Amino acid sequence: MSELLQSVYSGLLHGSVYGLMAIGLTVIWGAMRLLNLAHGSLYLVGGYVGWTVVNKLSMPIGVAVPIGVAGAAIAGLLMYGLFIRPLVGRPGWDSATLITTVGFGIAIEAGVLLLYGPQVKAIPGLFSGSFVYERVLITYQGLLVMAVAAVCLLSVSTYIRVSRRGMAIRAVSQDVDAAKLMGIPIDTTFAIVMALSAGLAGLAGVLLSSTFYLSPTSGFQPMILAIVVTILGGLGSIKGTIVAAYSIGLLESFVNVYVGPSWGLPVLFGTMIVVLTLRPNGLFGVGEARRL
Amino acid sequence: MTIDVPETTFDADQALDARLDPRASPWVRPRWLLLLAVLPIALALPLFLNSVAGGRFWLHLLIIFFVWAIVTQSWNLLLAVSGIYSFGQIAIFAVGGWTAGYLALHVGLNPWLSIWFAPFAAAAAAVVIGLPTLRLRGAYVVLITLAFLELLRNFLVNSPYETITGGGYGLLYVPKLDFGLLGDGRKHVMFYYTGLIFFTIATYFIWRIFHSPLGMAFTALRDSETYAVSRGVNQFRARLFLFVFCAFFTGLAAGLLTHYQGAISPSILGFGVLINLLAMIVIGGWGTFWGPIFGTAFLILLQEKWLRGGELEEYRKLVLGLMLAFIAVFAPRGLFPVIAAGVRRLVKGPEREEEEGAEDEEPEEGRATPIA
Repeated sequence: MSELLQSVYSGLLHGSVYGLMAIGLTVIWGAMRLLNLAHGSLYLVGGYVGWTVVNKLSMPIGVAVPIGVAGAAIAGLLMYGLFIRPLVGRPGWDSATLITTVGFGIAIEAGVLLLYGPQVKAIPGLFSGSFVYERVLITYQGLLVMAVAAVCLLSVSTYIRVSRRGMAIRAVSQDVDAAKLMGIPIDTTFAIVMALSAGLAGLAGVLLSSTFYLSPTSGFQPMILAIVVTILGGLGSIKGTIVAAYSIGLLESFVNVYVGPSWGLPVLFGTMIVVLTLRPNGLFGVGEARRL
Repeated sequence: MTIDVPETTFDADQALDARLDPRASPWVRPRWLLLLAVLPIALALPLFLNSVAGGRFWLHLLIIFFVWAIVTQSWNLLLAVSGIYSFGQIAIFAVGGWTAGYLALHVGLNPWLSIWFAPFAAAAAAVVIGLPTLRLRGAYVVLITLAFLELLRNFLVNSPYETITGGGYGLLYVPKLDFGLLGDGRKHVMFYYTGLIFFTIATYFIWRIFHSPLGMAFTALRDSETYAVSRGVNQFRARLFLFVFCAFFTGLAAGLLTHYQGAISPSILGFGVLINLLAMIVIGGWGTFWGPIFGTAFLILLQEKWLRGGELEEYRKLVLGLMLAFIAVFAPRGLFPVIAAGVRRLVKGPEREEEEGAEDEEPEEGRATPIA
């Protein structure tokens, strides 16, 4: 019983993280056809900005969360303005954006290493304290992360489905040229998508650094797993991504608990290879015509 | 009623003399004169370096250059010329390295023998990685190959078969290539020659692919798959051949590195190495023939010589990342074409450049399209 509960708890927690990270990736892919390999670095920006606000400016963590989110969003906009925007409409978009985001990601990682050093850092949680239920340690911060993630995922998907801007994003993701002809400001839409996705990565960074510590390389693994999630959910499908995030989180933690902790990642990557081989567009993948 | 048939002006001599524009034809001849000029220098260089103080280090850099230049050239063929964003090349490299290392260390093969198993094992690994990617496009290829890379790293570090993988340290004390009496006191020189031979062979074959109908087919598949297929390019065969071809030489380079260093460790699968190799291609010249060679030389110099030690060492990754990001945006063909154009202008002057353009231009310049 306690093993089952443990698996479900940590599965939901991991699923929330993957969801926060993956939904940004999938929205960017949907709207811009851009695989953002700097996403892990935006997670880092959120975490380190939050850490600075708490430890250097000695402000409460409640203030640090929005500032961390804003910091990551600004970094995302910076990347968009400097490196992505000049590429829009040029041939070779795929490879150029791939390289430029990898480069930007490495530069941020190296910058963080230079500024903060290689030591592991921790941010205090919004709530401290925990309780034990059926021999499973449940922290209030963990529950908070789950709740925040669920709210964010729902509101992002609602925003994109219902709001006027969301309609613009969906239009752009279906056909950039047609959207432009209909008078949708492409540039603004791209910038909004970029800021939204970077902000979500930053939020994951701030919230999680109390549970899984912070170091200059800690953005990589969440990004890789978020990529696995987006793949399984189908790049560009929001519903698929949310389902896949929780499934992957649960699968990972069940394997960790029942098979052994070193099996979690290999099983995930193996699953991903099998799924991609059988369904090249992911489990919930939508064809070229309809994305988001 | 008669129809006036216009007199045809058919000149047999002229017809026989018809030749293709050398740049339009995919078959280009090597420039033997240039090669003949470079050859004595390449052959004499190690002897000179071996006798100069500090020359040993330069020899080491050159050997490393040969290894990585083979890898970047074949990766460039896959990544930039053919537009298959496979990040598994380094996994293939590792398979080659481990095969050679394991056979020499635990089976007891002579390194001169085990090194030849590396390219074939790498080619087999390329089929395993290549087959599932055949149905995928673009970003999905990046992800599935990254997954293979992570799986292999996980296997090498955590697997229960530690005698094969060597665990977290990798294979240590692998026998090095033995040159017998020839290498007595001149080990680095002999390694240099071995590397030079491998490099020359690999470069020749890659050059041949670049200027062949097959190379054209790769680029055509990259630029418009539907069109290329409808014009008779066998997509399946071309891509699989490409995967195996690139893996073969990558494996050869891996075997050489393993038997040169006497060790291979899982750190070779790290993201850092991958980024370095990517940077060599991007900075040198994405999709051009000379680009990866130039980029490999440039980055090895930058990293091992100019930024080694001192305060600058910390800024290595920062510089690398920013260079990648800026070059992809502002000089998508990399630095080599930019520098080559500058040199040509300096040597010939701007006005003569145009009339001689067709003959004197580097053959690959005509074909290399901007990043695509």
